[in-house]
Amino acid sequence: MMIDFFQYLSSGLLMGGMYAIIGVTIVLVYKSTHVASLAHGQILAFGAVFFYIFFGVLKWPLLASFSSALILGGILGFLINRLTMRRLIGEPLFTCFLMTFAVFMFLDGVFNLYVGGETRFIPAYLPEGTIDIGGVCIAKDRLGNFFISMLPIMILIVLFKYSKIGLRMRATAENHTLAQGSGIRVKKVFMLIWVVSSIMAAIGGIVCAGTINIHFPLPGIGLKGLVIALVGGLDSFAGAIVAGLMVGILESMGAGYIDPLIPGGGVNEVVAYVMLLIVLLVKPYGLLGLARIERI
Amino acid sequence: MRSCGVFDETYEKDIAIVRTWRHWIVLIGFVALLFLLPLFFSYYFISLLNNIFITAIVVLGLQIVTGYCGQVSLGQAAFMAIGAFASGLFTTRLGLSFWLALPLSGISAGIIGLIGGAPSLRIKEFYLAMSTVAIHYVVIWVITHLSITGYTEGLVVPAPSIGDFVFDTEDRMYYVILMVTLLLTYFARNLVRSRVGRVLVAIRDNDLAAEVMGINLFHYKMLGFFISCFYAGIAGCLLAHWYQVVNAEQFTLNHALLYIGMIIVGGMGSVPGVFFGVIFFRLLDEFILVISPVLAREFTWMGMSPAASMGVMGFGLVLILFLLFEPRGIAHRWEIFKTSYRIYPYRN
Repeated sequence: MMIDFFQYLSSGLLMGGMYAIIGVTIVLVYKSTHVASLAHGQILAFGAVFFYIFFGVLKWPLLASFSSALILGGILGFLINRLTMRRLIGEPLFTCFLMTFAVFMFLDGVFNLYVGGETRFIPAYLPEGTIDIGGVCIAKDRLGNFFISMLPIMILIVLFKYSKIGLRMRATAENHTLAQGSGIRVKKVFMLIWVVSSIMAAIGGIVCAGTINIHFPLPGIGLKGLVIALVGGLDSFAGAIVAGLMVGILESMGAGYIDPLIPGGGVNEVVAYVMLLIVLLVKPYGLLGLARIERI
Repeated sequence: MRSCGVFDETYEKDIAIVRTWRHWIVLIGFVALLFLLPLFFSYYFISLLNNIFITAIVVLGLQIVTGYCGQVSLGQAAFMAIGAFASGLFTTRLGLSFWLALPLSGISAGIIGLIGGAPSLRIKEFYLAMSTVAIHYVVIWVITHLSITGYTEGLVVPAPSIGDFVFDTEDRMYYVILMVTLLLTYFARNLVRSRVGRVLVAIRDNDLAAEVMGINLFHYKMLGFFISCFYAGIAGCLLAHWYQVVNAEQFTLNHALLYIGMIIVGGMGSVPGVFFGVIFFRLLDEFILVISPVLAREFTWMGMSPAASMGVMGFGLVLILFLLFEPRGIAHRWEIFKTSYRIYPYRN
């Protein structure tokens, strides 16, 4: 019994790392530009596709294909920012959100044009096999994925807090006008945010595609990442990490404990959304988000 | 803008939907033309029109709650599914006739919509949009996991009938759908010029100020959600009886996002904008269906039938272009056009 509990807990934690990195990407974009971006789900999928093309089809060495996929992902984010989001800088935020949604649909079409109905598998690059800790099996490649997800998050948080660039990003996140007045080039900061978040989304995509292979639902993970960012609070990195891990654990516990009770199973699809509804009813701004004070 | 020589002398004239006797003639002529269409046009065109009218009903509901009341609702597809499955269950399990099941499925979708809209009081804007997405996924999950709704296979639904006369061809269903659409469009247009419509717009513009003025936010937000889900339920019921098969695959999140795209392109906050948006996207779909075999032959790397992905790409591209260049939609351009010929030779 207890073994089962720890088994579900550990596999859930490892899945949760994957969700956490996507959640952190969305929180990063929201913190600086106040736009919750749907487009990163597609950037994630394209990052996975680039990695597949370099590593699986062209057979480049691992490090070269990984960094090329990240560079291409960054370029994609740069293009999206330059062509679309820049024109909408003064507009109401809902318009910007709709623009990210339109970019999502457009890139979804391109993605489906490439993928069609097939499933592509990335060849395994992490060590195979499982580690056995007192009866609990931990898959080695899942563990590798977890560390690959957590490392960029840690680097990003350190960058955000302790570097000059991070200071500029935080200042822009507080108040665009005052930041511009203090001499920070806000447009450049936006572009930097988009490039950094696209690189992180590409990492997230490579990690996700290792687990769920490349086929048409892959961009849907971006939507789930948005849900996780909301559960944790759109302007809190710690919230996104906590929410990602929690949703991962709850999904795997739901699949383990509740699935046999319900005909048809499949509880893990809907756990994240039920969690979102419950959390928003109790805390309308997410678990660790700041409440906005509204004035007339 | 009024044409030269048209003055509003009474309040009724000011808020009238049809203003002059010339407008009445055009309106009556147009409605008569709509009724006579099946005599002149082909089967395919009539089925396209059926699709357009059903989509217009659900997007009208979305316009009331999102365009006029400001509460972004991405759950319209799920409420359409509730209406469709409810009507399917009413007609197959309970043996009710279609004409009774139609308003009942609207009301049942509306009641479930109240449960979905209840969080909207405390949650604002973007969080509300995502919580309606969550409601969509939960509703679809519940529908596909219940045995009375047939799990993932769905239900088979009979066609509507009056006595011995069964509405099972496109032309006959066209008249049913046309009547319901005309009625609901008139109801929506009337709603937005009434006191309730002004309250909804006040909530959209600044809900704190509206509350300070004495508007009961909870009551009217619930009303907005109820009306939009009622429209979605009726559209779902019509869809079920038109296709005669109901399945959860007909109501995905992509459909809900398509409806939001339609009101953006058509124009948020205007009833004619609904029809502009719906007709624009349906014509775009048909256009892509026509050119995709040509593209598949010319560019063989696109695969066998790129129609599905080209459709989505076209939708995204159109939406991007509209958001960049005309965020107020086709309805805004239409207003500018009408003004240009009404105040000729002056310019706006």
